[in-house]
Amino acid sequence: MSGVNFFGIRHLSPAGAFYLRQYLDEIKPALVIIEVPSDFEDAVSDILRSETAPPFAILAYTQSVPIRTILYPFAEYSPEYQAIKWCSENGVSVQFMDLPSETFLALSDERIREAEREIDENNEQDDSPKEQDGQDPETTAGQNPDVYELISEKSADGSHETFWERTLEHCANAEAYHEGANLFGANIRELSEKNGIDEKETALREIYMRSVIRNAVKSGISPEKIVVVTGAYHVEGLKTWETDEDVPTFPKLPSLHTLMPYSYYRLSTRSGYGAGNKAPAYYELIWEGLNKGDRLFAANAYLSKTAEKTRENGNAASSAQVIEALRLAGALAKMHGGNIPTLSDLRDAATTCIGEGSFAAVSVACADTEIGTKIGKLPEGVSRTSIQDDFYRLMKELRLEKYRSVTAQNLRLDLRENIRASSEKSAFLDLERSYFLHKLRVLGIGFAVLLPSRQDSATWAEEWQLCWTPEAEIVLVESALKGDTVELAAAFQIKETVEHSADVSVIAQAVEDAFCCGMSKAASYAVSALQAAAADNIPFNEIAKTMFRLSNIISYGDIRKADCSAVEPILKQLYYRACLIMSSSCVCNDDASQEMSNAMNMINSAELAQDFLETEKWIKALREVSSRDDLNTRLSGFAAAILLERNEMTNDELKTEVSRRLSKGVPADLGAGWFEGLMLKNRYGLIARLSLWESLDNYLGSLDDDEFKRALVFLRRAFADFSSGEKDSVAENLGEIWGLNGAQVSEVLNSTLDAASQEIIDGLSDFDFDI
Amino acid sequence: MDNSILRLPAEQLFEEELNALIKAEKDPIPEGWRMSPKSVKTYICGGKVGKTVITPKYIGHERLVEIAIATLVTDRALLLIGEPGTAKSWLSEHLTAAINGNSSRVIQGTAGTTEEQIRYSWNYAMLIANGPSEQAMLKSPVFTAMEDGAIARVEEISRCASEVQDTLISLLSEKRISVPELSLEVPAKKGFSIIATANTRDKGVNDMSAALKRRFNIVVLPAPETLEEEMNIVKTRVEQLSESLDLNASLPKDKVIEKICTIFRELRGGETLDKKQKLKAPAGVLSTAEAISLLCNSMALAGSFGNGDISDDDIAAGLQGAVVKDDKDTVAWKEYLENIMKKRGSEWSGLYRACRELNE
Repeated sequence: MSGVNFFGIRHLSPAGAFYLRQYLDEIKPALVIIEVPSDFEDAVSDILRSETAPPFAILAYTQSVPIRTILYPFAEYSPEYQAIKWCSENGVSVQFMDLPSETFLALSDERIREAEREIDENNEQDDSPKEQDGQDPETTAGQNPDVYELISEKSADGSHETFWERTLEHCANAEAYHEGANLFGANIRELSEKNGIDEKETALREIYMRSVIRNAVKSGISPEKIVVVTGAYHVEGLKTWETDEDVPTFPKLPSLHTLMPYSYYRLSTRSGYGAGNKAPAYYELIWEGLNKGDRLFAANAYLSKTAEKTRENGNAASSAQVIEALRLAGALAKMHGGNIPTLSDLRDAATTCIGEGSFAAVSVACADTEIGTKIGKLPEGVSRTSIQDDFYRLMKELRLEKYRSVTAQNLRLDLRENIRASSEKSAFLDLERSYFLHKLRVLGIGFAVLLPSRQDSATWAEEWQLCWTPEAEIVLVESALKGDTVELAAAFQIKETVEHSADVSVIAQAVEDAFCCGMSKAASYAVSALQAAAADNIPFNEIAKTMFRLSNIISYGDIRKADCSAVEPILKQLYYRACLIMSSSCVCNDDASQEMSNAMNMINSAELAQDFLETEKWIKALREVSSRDDLNTRLSGFAAAILLERNEMTNDELKTEVSRRLSKGVPADLGAGWFEGLMLKNRYGLIARLSLWESLDNYLGSLDDDEFKRALVFLRRAFADFSSGEKDSVAENLGEIWGLNGAQVSEVLNSTLDAASQEIIDGLSDFDFDI
Repeated sequence: MDNSILRLPAEQLFEEELNALIKAEKDPIPEGWRMSPKSVKTYICGGKVGKTVITPKYIGHERLVEIAIATLVTDRALLLIGEPGTAKSWLSEHLTAAINGNSSRVIQGTAGTTEEQIRYSWNYAMLIANGPSEQAMLKSPVFTAMEDGAIARVEEISRCASEVQDTLISLLSEKRISVPELSLEVPAKKGFSIIATANTRDKGVNDMSAALKRRFNIVVLPAPETLEEEMNIVKTRVEQLSESLDLNASLPKDKVIEKICTIFRELRGGETLDKKQKLKAPAGVLSTAEAISLLCNSMALAGSFGNGDISDDDIAAGLQGAVVKDDKDTVAWKEYLENIMKKRGSEWSGLYRACRELNE
């Protein structure tokens, strides 16, 4: 008899938590030792603060790249959490006994490296790369999931989850749970050993845990006054604590840890080593029921809530159905020898009685009831990393705290000064918020997503969608490596981006990011990098993208109180270059011309937006492209369209150009290509010019049959994306030219092709364009 | 067992198994039942009792069977819904055989089913001669089930006219039947319930009213999920059937069953099993039940006109009949032959040739 009391549990087990408290009341120990990494002991005082509300987690992370993390989630009904609470309520000291997180991280690092090595070796052996799923180190850690599959096969319920719930969560008293869990753990252990499952890491952990128990006893506490709370699996392994053994030195990776709020949603997605908790909200109901002394509480509450949620979703669900479902669930439980329905009984009963046999009808309601949207809370300043502190301080300062929920909410920001505000700080509150959210965006923290804005308010408004997830918190903690505050981390990130990119437009993006974040230093750093990069040879479309971004920065800079003076010269420089190389860049095929026309459009809008750019240079370049015959005709047409739009081409000039481009001698595909380019922009302006359509009509009339067929293909393409309204207007024009009724022509143009015409047109696809 | 009977009811066919289960019963038995719910499940899903092996009657979703049995424990009526050939009637027959030892309290729903057939009617000769009396009354299966505290079956309930279906509403909620002619009220004994089956796919069905649906617990029986599961079902059933039918032919080989199930699953789903090719789906249901009867049919052909081994020609004849129900199906079937089966290599070539011959 070892004397030390062991209480085997499963992490996240309501009955375990409830009966553990009873057990502790009965034993009245002097010391409680819990299976949690021993270096987490400093978090106890924060865990116990009254503002702390589960679910929360302790996150440990390495201080060097690559960052490895481990997470220890706790819910209200975690036995470990309740044990810690019990100890503080009864003035009993508590101790953690698992390997320190540094060692866990080192072990998991080793494992990942080993796995990578294996993949590499496999790749060398056979060239075909094997598909390897990114295994989550935490789920493969500890016990092998195969054991649980064995249980699933053996148990009458066909699932180890249901087996556990039916046999242990529904235990009627502490003794039954205590014995049951210990037996369960012992059996699992035996099963694993029998199946030769490698438990190297478990062995290491148990050596360490035994030494902790030994030391506790050596320190003078009588073994009978010690309660060890551990995973049921380890009970057998720890019972031999009395035997002295050498404790090896464990590998360590320098690491830090922090408390973080957690969510039920996230808890449900991490099934971990068989101790999964796919239905945290339901388990909380069991916990509530145990505390109320009503063992059917969870079943009643589950079905009523499901019915309520079903009604909220717009489907009918009556109380009668709930009662029937409850009876059915009871009958199902009885068939398996239980008195209390398990989750699977309840879900099946809800499907049968509320969903009328189809799970789809109740699936959403069930998920809401089982998982829920609960998020934990931590008091301010609780052992967070400095970047978390900064984050939460800013959240509070910027009055964003109410957006920290798992349901997405939209936030519309007005970046202009609020002239009615009393202080300068509140006048620019939205701008400060925007800076902050942009910084989060740069850091990849998925808390805020920028929604596309509408044209009319693009200069001064931003719309964000905010939704808090534990993942966001994890990324935030990982960002601690980049800097101690959100701003420093964002600055570091921008610097990283600039240093590691070769594309000018990416650097321009970084510049824009820096301006959006309101970080002038980072911005000027990025600008100088941009200047250096801009001196190199850059393709035309890169220039265009960069100019577009820079122009944006300058346009919206004022509203963001940013100093854009350094950007202007770069934009100017790029602008000149663009004007110079445009015509030579317009030698390309039709596929590339798409990108080119986009680029031309971007430069055009940049030029229109910025007064300091010399308009003449751009017009000159456009004229050149428009008039030269040796360039891609589509682009020439597009250049002409821009000129027309800017009123730099008169009607007469257009007429001349049209007849020149569409004269009989010019191959039909080139002519039609030009026309297509012309139609890419400013359609209404073009439709209004009757002379254009006359020229087109004349041109088509002059073609012979073969030429007409060829032109038809291209013209069809040019008109393909015209709306029917636009086609109507074209029809009116043609009607006027031909002296016909516009409506009749429109009807012909807008009608779908009949089979015969379709066949003729299909025939044209095979048409040989080479002459 | 009497071998001259074409189809024995389940409780006679599996009498031994039922007796073994009743003998070995340890769990509490609900009132009006012959065995505990657990034993009913063993009877249907298979297992072992003492030395007697219980053959599985329903293969696949054991959980659905559990839900069905649990429903009957709670004295709720049970409605089995599913595509044709998903063993609805089969399951309902075996449930009643196990629970009551009598699966013959059946009302077959048709377009001509009347309200009287569900409640009671009269022997008119006696009615006219002696006036209304209990002797002159013809009790429906539901009526007798209420008197005996047993389960009545209503097959194809959705084929009855709506007003006839709704007769069941009062029976199910009041749990009593009244005979105003005799000023008589017959309350149902404990153990009374109804198992109804309905079909989701057939044409010419009448939707059930919401009021009636609410009085049932609905269990949807799905088509077999995997090829292996379906093959298993087909194999078991063909074995059982061929025993009672004396077909004089050897049982189909696994390869043959696999081919049939593959063809049925592909045509049913409208795509090949590897999901690489879309197919035209014929209008017919192509249920598992049809696959079973197709194979029995082929065995009969082989036993009567061949050498006792199922040949490709025997299967082809059956397939043609099962797949092609109208002209449009011919096109779908021909396309399937040319695009899919022809390209499946030598193992399928015999069957392909036999099928093509029938379509030339």
